[in-house]
Amino acid sequence: MITKNAIKPFLILSIIVLVLGIFAGCSKTSDVETASNLNTDEATKMTREELVFVNFRDIRDLNPHLYAGEMYAQEMLYETLVTISKDGYEPCLAESWKISKDGKVYTFNIRKNVYFSDGEICDAHAIKANFDAIIENKERHTWLEMMNLLVSVEATDENTLMITLSSPYYPMLTELGVTRPFAMVSPKAMINGSTKDGVQEYIGTGSYILKEFKTDEYAIFEKNPLYWGEEPAIDKITVKVIPDNQTRILALENGEIDLIYGKNMIDADTINKYVNSEEIEIALSKPTSTRQLLMNSKSPVLGDINVRKAIQHATDKKMISDGIFYGLEEPADFLFSKTVPYCDVAIKPYEYNFQEAVKLLEESGWVVGNDAIREKNGQKLAFDILYNSDSVTEKIISEYIQSQYSKLGMSVTIKGEEEQSYRDNMKAGNFDMVFNISWGMPYDPQSSLSAMQRPVYGDYAAQQGLEDKTHLDDMISKIMVSTSEEERQKLYNEVLSILHEEAIYLPLTYECNKAVFTKDLNNVVFTQSQYEVPFAMMHFKK
Amino acid sequence: MIVYIIKRILVSILLIFAVTFICFVFINMIPSDPAEVVLRVRQTPIITEEAIKEVTQALGLDDPYFIRYLKWLRNCLRLDFGVSYINPSRTVWGEFTRTLPDTILLALSSLIIVIIVSIPTGFFCAIFKDSLFDRVVRILVFATTSMPAYVVGLLLMWLISYRLKLLPTSGSGGFRHIIMPSITIAMTYISTYIRLIRNNMLENMKEDYVVYAKVRGLNPWRISIFHILKNSLQSCMVAIGMSIPQLISGTMVVENVFAWPGLGKLCIASIFNRDYPIIQLYILFVGILFVLFNLIFDILQHLADPRIRSLS
Repeated sequence: MITKNAIKPFLILSIIVLVLGIFAGCSKTSDVETASNLNTDEATKMTREELVFVNFRDIRDLNPHLYAGEMYAQEMLYETLVTISKDGYEPCLAESWKISKDGKVYTFNIRKNVYFSDGEICDAHAIKANFDAIIENKERHTWLEMMNLLVSVEATDENTLMITLSSPYYPMLTELGVTRPFAMVSPKAMINGSTKDGVQEYIGTGSYILKEFKTDEYAIFEKNPLYWGEEPAIDKITVKVIPDNQTRILALENGEIDLIYGKNMIDADTINKYVNSEEIEIALSKPTSTRQLLMNSKSPVLGDINVRKAIQHATDKKMISDGIFYGLEEPADFLFSKTVPYCDVAIKPYEYNFQEAVKLLEESGWVVGNDAIREKNGQKLAFDILYNSDSVTEKIISEYIQSQYSKLGMSVTIKGEEEQSYRDNMKAGNFDMVFNISWGMPYDPQSSLSAMQRPVYGDYAAQQGLEDKTHLDDMISKIMVSTSEEERQKLYNEVLSILHEEAIYLPLTYECNKAVFTKDLNNVVFTQSQYEVPFAMMHFKK
Repeated sequence: MIVYIIKRILVSILLIFAVTFICFVFINMIPSDPAEVVLRVRQTPIITEEAIKEVTQALGLDDPYFIRYLKWLRNCLRLDFGVSYINPSRTVWGEFTRTLPDTILLALSSLIIVIIVSIPTGFFCAIFKDSLFDRVVRILVFATTSMPAYVVGLLLMWLISYRLKLLPTSGSGGFRHIIMPSITIAMTYISTYIRLIRNNMLENMKEDYVVYAKVRGLNPWRISIFHILKNSLQSCMVAIGMSIPQLISGTMVVENVFAWPGLGKLCIASIFNRDYPIIQLYILFVGILFVLFNLIFDILQHLADPRIRSLS
C-alpha cells in the first residue's frame, strides 16, 4: 500500500489544485460580472428611465374582459370610462356624463382624439363594441349587479354613449370604473368581435404598452406614444418574476430591482427591517380592507349574542396590531374603516374589557365548570376557529386569541385547512369562527354588502341565525337602488349598526397596501384601487 | 437474457398504467369541485351558480368518473393534457414543453458538478482514510446533507450575490444565472456520492484482486485508479443513473428560490394556484421518468455485471 510519506505531497498538491480550481472558476465569472457592474453603474449615473418592478408570478392573460391576468399590468394598458378617485369619480375615456332623473339612463360624452396603441380610434363605437363583447359573456360578470340590470348600450354618435338600466343603481359608476371587465380593448384585437375566448393582442389606450414578455421570466412595458393624457416620467417598466419572498428582498437590496409593491408581496417583518434604512424606503397606504373574524350565528355556542359580545370585549386588538404587525396594521373597531365611503357611522366600538366579557357570560348563565371551562345546560363553551393554513399570520392570531379566550373559560380549537377546503367550509357554513377579509377598495362597502345576500361567501352562512336577516337583505337591496344620497346614507347607517349590534363580525386590524423601494424612486403612492401600481406617477430623482 | 429484458419492459408498462391511474385518482380525490376551483383561480370575484355550470360543461366534468379517466388516458396518448386552469389560453403540454428544457439544462449542469466534485473527493477520502482531509470532508458532507436546499440556496445568494456581488441573485438568461442554482442542487448529491464512492472503494480495497495486484508489484496509484476506482464506479452506476430522474424532479424548491423558469417552478406555482391539470402531468411525468430510468439502468447493469446475470 502507499506509504504515509508518499501520501503527503500528493495530498497537499491535490488540495492546492482543488482550491485553485475553485478560485479560477470564481475569478472567471467575476471578470464578466465586473464588466456588467460597470454597465449598470453607468446607467444609474444618467437619470434613470427604466424601473425594475417585481411580481411573484407571470402577467398571464391580460385580456381585461376575463379575470385571469395580473391587475397591475391591466391597469397600465387599459382604461375605463371613469376613474374612481378619493372624492368620487374622475373623467377618463368619458369626458363628462349625465344621469337621468330616474337614475336609469347614463349618457357619456366620450373624449375625442383618443387612440388605441395600434392606431385605432377609441370612440363611442369602439366602446360599444367592447360592451357587446362583455355582454356576450354575461354569466361571468353577474357578480356586478349592473350586469343584471343592463337593458341596452348604444352609441348614438361618435362621441355619445348611452347606457340604460332597468332600475336605478347607485354603484353603477364604481362598477364601470373597475378594470375588470369594463376596460376597453382595441376592437381590432378582438377575435371576430368577441373577447370571451381571448384576444389577439393586448392593446388598450393606457399610458404604457406591452413591448415584450417571456412567460414566467419578465415583461417589458414602454410608454405609449399615442397616449392622450400626461406623459409618464419613466420610459420603461420591466417586471421580473421572482416567486420567493426572500429572493425578492435580496434582489432589492442588491439593486437588481427597484420596487416591491402590494398587500401580500411583503410581510410586516420585512417592512419593519427597513424603517430606518438608508438605501431603502417604505410606504404604507390608508386602510384598504378589514381583517376580521366571522362568527356563525347558527353555531350552538356562538348563537348566543352575549357570547359574541363577550368575545368582542375579550379581544385585545391593540396587542395583535403591535405584536403581530409591528403596528403597521392599525387595530380595527368596525367592519369597514371610517375612511370607506358611507361608513363613517356613529356607533360605539366594543372596548377591550375583560370584566365586561365575564359579566356578559355570567348574565347569560355560562358558569365555570370543574375543568375551568364554562358551561350552560350541559353545553360546554367550546368552539373552533378555522383559518387558511397558507396564512402564517392567521395561525399566529388564532393561537394568540386561543390563549386569551381560555382565561375567560372558553375552550377554543384552532383548525387550519388548505385554501380550497377552507373556502368550501366557509361557503357551506361549516365553522364557528372563521378568518375573513373584506373586499377592499373600491368594492367596499357596496359589493361586500351585496355579496352578503348570496350564498357565495361565509357572510351569508354566518348571518343565517340572525332574526332580522331578511330585513337586512331588504335594506341592502334598497341601498343599491336608492337615488337620494341622504336616504342611502340612512340605510347604510342602519345596516352597519345592526351588523355591529349583532356582533357577528369581530374586526381585528385594517389591512393596508405596502411598498418597499430604492431611495432613488419618488412619488410611490397608492390609488383608490388596491391592485393598481401607479407607475405613471412615479419618477426617479435627478 | 432477452426473456429478462422483455419481462422487465412488460412490468414497466404495467407500472406506467398504474401511475396514470393513481395520478388521476389522487387529483380527483380532492373534495373540492374543480369547476369552482377553476373560477376561483381565475379570480372571478363572486362565483355564481351559472358560472359553475358553464365551466363544468366546458371541462366535461359532468361525465361519470371512469369515463373521464378513459377520456383523459386517450387524450394523454395524443399528448393532449387539456388547458391550464389558471391560464386558459395556454395548453398544459405547451407549458410543459416550454419549461422542460430549462429544467433539463439545470439538472445536467448539476450532474456535471456532482461528477466532477464527488469522484475525486470520494477517491481521495478513501485513499487517505481517516486523514485530516477525510475528516474535514466528512464533516462537510454531514453538514450539507442535513441542510435543506432552500437554506443552502439563500446562503449562497447572500454570500455570492449580496456580499461579493459576483452573480445575479436570480432569474435566467445566461451562464451566470445557472451557476448558483446548479451548485445548490449539486450540494446534496455531492455529499451522497462522496460517501458512496468512498465506502465502495474501501470495500473493494479488501478484495483479493487488490492483494494479488500488490503482490504483482503494480504501482499503487495504478491499482487505486484503474482497479479499485473502476470497480467501485461500476456499482455506483445504478445510483448515478437513478439520480438523473431525482435531479430533474428535485429542482422544484431550488427553481423557486432562484426564479429559474423550469418545470419545478411551474409545478410549485400550479400547486399554489390549484392548477390541477399541470400538477397531474407533472406527477405523471416524474412517475414515468422513474420507471424508465429504473428499467434502463437495470438492463445496463445486467449487461455490465456478469455476476448479476448469472443470478437471474
